Amino acid sequence: MTDSATEVHGRRRLHATRTFLLQFIEKRGAQLGLLALAFFIVMAAMPNRLVGPLQTAITATGIPLVPPSREQFLGTDEIGRDVLNLVVHGARISLTIALIATVISLIVGTTVGILAGYYRGRVDVWLMRLTDFFFIVPPFVLALVIAPVFVEVVGRGGEILGFRPSLFVIILVIGLTSWGFVARIVRSQTLSLRERTFVDRARVVGSNDLFIMVQHILPNLVPQIAANGALVVANAIYVETALSFLCLGDPLQPSWGTMLYLAQHAGAASAGAWWYLGAPGACVLIVSLSFVLIGNALDDTANPRRRVIP
Amino acid sequence: MSRRIVNVLIRALITLLMVMILNFVLFRIVPGDPGQLLLSGARGGATQEQITGLRQRWGLDRPLFPDQVTDYVSATFRGDLGYSFKFRGERVGDLLLKRLPATIGLVGLAQLVAIVCGVMLGLYVGWRRGSAIDKIATGLSLALYSTPAFWLGMVLVVVFSTSLGWLPGYGISSPGLANVGPLGWLIERIRHLLLPALTMAFALIGQYVVVARAAMSDVVTEDYMITARAKGLTSRQMLMRHAFRNAMLPVATLVTLNLGYVVAGAITVESVFAWPGIGSLTVEALNARDYPVLQGIFLLLGVSIIAANLIADLTYGLLDPRVRQ
Amino acid sequence: MIKSSEALAPLLDVDSLSVDYISKGVPLRAIEQVSFSLAAGEAVALVGESGSGKTTTAMSIAGLLPPTAKVSGGDVSYRGKRLPIDDDEAMRPHRWSEISVVFQGAMNALNPVHRVLKQIAEPCILKLGMSQSEATARARELLELVGIPADRGSAFPHELSGGMRQRVMIAMALACRPSIIVGDEPTTALDVITQAQILKLLGKLRSELNLGLILITHDLSVVAESCDRAMIMYAGRIVEDGLVDDIFNEPKHPYTKLLIESIPNPAKGKQILRPITGDPPTLHNRPSGCAFRSRCPSAIQVCATEVPRLDLSVQGRVACHLHRYSTQVQRVGSDA
Repeated sequence: MTDSATEVHGRRRLHATRTFLLQFIEKRGAQLGLLALAFFIVMAAMPNRLVGPLQTAITATGIPLVPPSREQFLGTDEIGRDVLNLVVHGARISLTIALIATVISLIVGTTVGILAGYYRGRVDVWLMRLTDFFFIVPPFVLALVIAPVFVEVVGRGGEILGFRPSLFVIILVIGLTSWGFVARIVRSQTLSLRERTFVDRARVVGSNDLFIMVQHILPNLVPQIAANGALVVANAIYVETALSFLCLGDPLQPSWGTMLYLAQHAGAASAGAWWYLGAPGACVLIVSLSFVLIGNALDDTANPRRRVIP
Repeated sequence: MSRRIVNVLIRALITLLMVMILNFVLFRIVPGDPGQLLLSGARGGATQEQITGLRQRWGLDRPLFPDQVTDYVSATFRGDLGYSFKFRGERVGDLLLKRLPATIGLVGLAQLVAIVCGVMLGLYVGWRRGSAIDKIATGLSLALYSTPAFWLGMVLVVVFSTSLGWLPGYGISSPGLANVGPLGWLIERIRHLLLPALTMAFALIGQYVVVARAAMSDVVTEDYMITARAKGLTSRQMLMRHAFRNAMLPVATLVTLNLGYVVAGAITVESVFAWPGIGSLTVEALNARDYPVLQGIFLLLGVSIIAANLIADLTYGLLDPRVRQ
Repeated sequence: MIKSSEALAPLLDVDSLSVDYISKGVPLRAIEQVSFSLAAGEAVALVGESGSGKTTTAMSIAGLLPPTAKVSGGDVSYRGKRLPIDDDEAMRPHRWSEISVVFQGAMNALNPVHRVLKQIAEPCILKLGMSQSEATARARELLELVGIPADRGSAFPHELSGGMRQRVMIAMALACRPSIIVGDEPTTALDVITQAQILKLLGKLRSELNLGLILITHDLSVVAESCDRAMIMYAGRIVEDGLVDDIFNEPKHPYTKLLIESIPNPAKGKQILRPITGDPPTLHNRPSGCAFRSRCPSAIQVCATEVPRLDLSVQGRVACHLHRYSTQVQRVGSDA
């Protein structure tokens, strides 16, 4: 009894994925990045378990702007809240925003890229002109211009999908402005994949375009999308932090960026309150760097560089 | 004119058009009456008459399409970018021009430092890949690349201004500086420039190191480098005559592209240091919901970015003979 | 070292050369006890599959071993003087002016951003100390010598066809008047007609300039027309060497026989092509005894335990136990 072609195909794909992941894990950058990231994911997953509920102006118990001590591991902010408490809760906000926004970017970017690369011709030309705009204008600048307008449109009250409107807007805005980079890369990969014989074979058999794109081309794009996706996350973290720093975030669900905004406006820098501004910024740095390292490791695994051959 | 150049120009034009469309649409989907917005700060409130009169003057009561659109496009091309909400009566164009020099001075200087140091370092560690200094340089560059620039600025302020007291932490000049003479004026300017410029330079240097290093290490594995070695060239000759020119191709493109981001690059850093440039203007306009100014800035950014991309596209052919037609 | 007159010493003498590659701290033997010599005006082919060591041998002669390589035994001598092939600095004066290399021009062996004339003139300026104008004039001469109009010198490499790029590489290799040219698969990426043209050019230059030629190739048919002697390499050793005619007409080593049988010969009419089964061993997994035994149709017991020595035979040399026994038997027979 020989296996069907589909079963062999599926097994082979599983094997290829395993090989890829094993090669990826071996790289030191990947190990460092994943380790650091794991630490923050734990933080984001159970903040209440780790530091208790988010402190507010009412529940703040500490003396304002006190440096790190045994009771408050990272010191206090200007209204006496424990900075460690804020940072741990902020992890959830910052990470969630960045990850959801990235998912949006990846979906939009991949769709545009595959369509442009597969159909070519006029579809390609128009999609690429559109992509040009989103690729050339830095996501931060675009988000900066669009976000306040959207915030006005959406209003300030209530909740949308568990997020306060301003955060929801930020997620959407970052997601809809950061896809240009992904689209370009997906398109160029699609262009070359399209020329491969398995695509012709699929067409001869009679598969329709959508089937080919989803079942044949897309799986081959996954390593590259993953590699670029990690970089998009790093970028999204930066954009969210910067937007929140400019007061487009929400002080009631403070991300690390919002904390930096509060710190700046409390005069932390000139007051020498290094713990208040240092902690959230350091977190942003570490998480961002982790994603960059992971992204680079994924990219190296997906496109190994030519070694000097003896 | 070759086909390629025409294509490149058309692309740039389309992108510019999209910038303008975005500007146009955004302002008009903001809820609330623009007239009311304009007069929101007026003392004693505004009467309905005043609001209507303002709307007429601004052409906001005319049909959206085609009148408002053509007005907008023609006004933009004439250089008339409207009037600021916040800074009453000031033309947006004038406002931008007033603030531009401070930004260009700051970011220009930072870019220069970042390019020179970053590219040299990157090329060097790319040539000697895997060495100890390579690992250090790469690690630092990645870390700096992942650091939010404005946070770095805040840290530098805490260290150099608050703790050590060596340098001022904000502004372009200190108040109360009468009669210090030209040298004293210059020194003061430099002292104020140092921290923000250093911050920006650190933020920008990472990408140059990474790109130059990648370019150089790609070149090092190319076949023509083996040919050069076979010809009996010294290491130095191989580097300068063969590797350098090829490695500089991606670097030159990056430098040209980054010229366009000079204006955009400093928004958050200027905010941290209260540096009176376009960046802090953006933040002020943002907080005051001063849409005409925001539009003007976005247009300015768009134009400079598109222009830089255009120049990069057109000049690449000059550097790489394989691309010339 | 006897300082006999240099005229008597062969142009090139490779004596029991062994080279290792160090991979993750472990040395892997690339070539083992390779010995041969080359006289002026002679053309020798190094033939073998990938991993046979032919490229390593040629690169050793040109002094172009990578930093991971280590000479573990033997010498290379040029006109009687030992070449410092493991010392990059010391080797530099010898490069290009004594021994030069023609790489596969189809790949990126020419710098894409420099014009062709400049690349040919470069070693003249740097090594021979010529002025810009002198070097350019010489470069133009060289282009004409290889059959390219001198005006094409202002072209960039990508503007030339594969065959022309190969000629440029040859012109460049001649720039400093070397005595030996090493051709690293110089015709592999070319079509058959261009291949023939290039080989003809090399032959012409060889006789006009009395050059010693070492040609690396995996294609025996290239060897037949252009070389005097051929050395067949397998798994880092020479397994047979001799005059090209002898090798083609009376191959002795089983590997050589199979190689020749696998060349399609239109003169023989219809035949079934017989490729050699199996794959050549990599540096990591060379078998004990004779490395070819797993693919050899005539392997005997001793082949697994003892490495065959390269012995003189009637014409040339061969490294095979079968051959040794058969000559011993012959000798015994003729004594009786």
